[in-house]
Amino acid sequence: MKYLLTFYVESRMADSSPEEMKEGLERWNAFENEAVDAGALIACEPLEDSSTATTIEITDSGERITTDGPFAESKEQLGGFCLLECANLDEALAWASKVPMNDGHIQVSAVRDLSQYGYDSHTAAPVRAAA
Amino acid sequence: MKYVLALISEEGGMEDASPEEMKAVMDRWDSYTRKAVENGAFIAGDALQPSATASTVKIKEGEEPVVSDGPFAESKEQLGGFYLFECKDMGEAIEYAKGIPFHDGTVEVRPVMDFTDLGYEDFDPGPVKAAA
Repeated sequence: MKYLLTFYVESRMADSSPEEMKEGLERWNAFENEAVDAGALIACEPLEDSSTATTIEITDSGERITTDGPFAESKEQLGGFCLLECANLDEALAWASKVPMNDGHIQVSAVRDLSQYGYDSHTAAPVRAAA
Repeated sequence: MKYVLALISEEGGMEDASPEEMKAVMDRWDSYTRKAVENGAFIAGDALQPSATASTVKIKEGEEPVVSDGPFAESKEQLGGFYLFECKDMGEAIEYAKGIPFHDGTVEVRPVMDFTDLGYEDFDPGPVKAAA
């Protein structure tokens, strides 16, 4: 079963010194390598600052309204995500507790299987198969 | 360059839908996704289960992670799905966002950060199908 971990964070690593940045990235590399080796990692991406976001509102009359900035002007913003193949929610929560963030929140959401309605997920399998 | 499209909408709109209505909606999403695959843009994308089933883990430096039930924000509109696309620029990503077959909803488009020159390993598999 697939789980999406979305990271909500206040401060960005971009504000860090080169040394802090390097140390932070090493922790992320270690986390992702562990998830790859476990056959869990499908994709994991850090996002550019929320100020670079563009938001498109789609109304029921079919209008597309484009605005600069993120959807919600909250203090903690979406800062990245990880898509993981896990046996169950407990396994997904165990990965979440290992995410090398200093401060913030991680939302763990189960991916919905829509195949009964004829919708096939095209998302690739984990980078490496589970041993 | 990679972009994330976060799909945000009010939940529950499809609960009373008939199987036929559901199928019609899914057909639109299916053709949207297939087109993105064919264009060589699609890396990943999935729908999420209702936010009531989400869990949230609070991380604070020096403290044990705290798990609670429910989504990060208790707002009316919730993250319902996402796409990860390879696009040539933000303009192309915005065009994909405008094409999302939402009846009513919001798409937040965000560029993925490229840290690879700083030694960050990027494991994502790239587009499912290469651009023609």
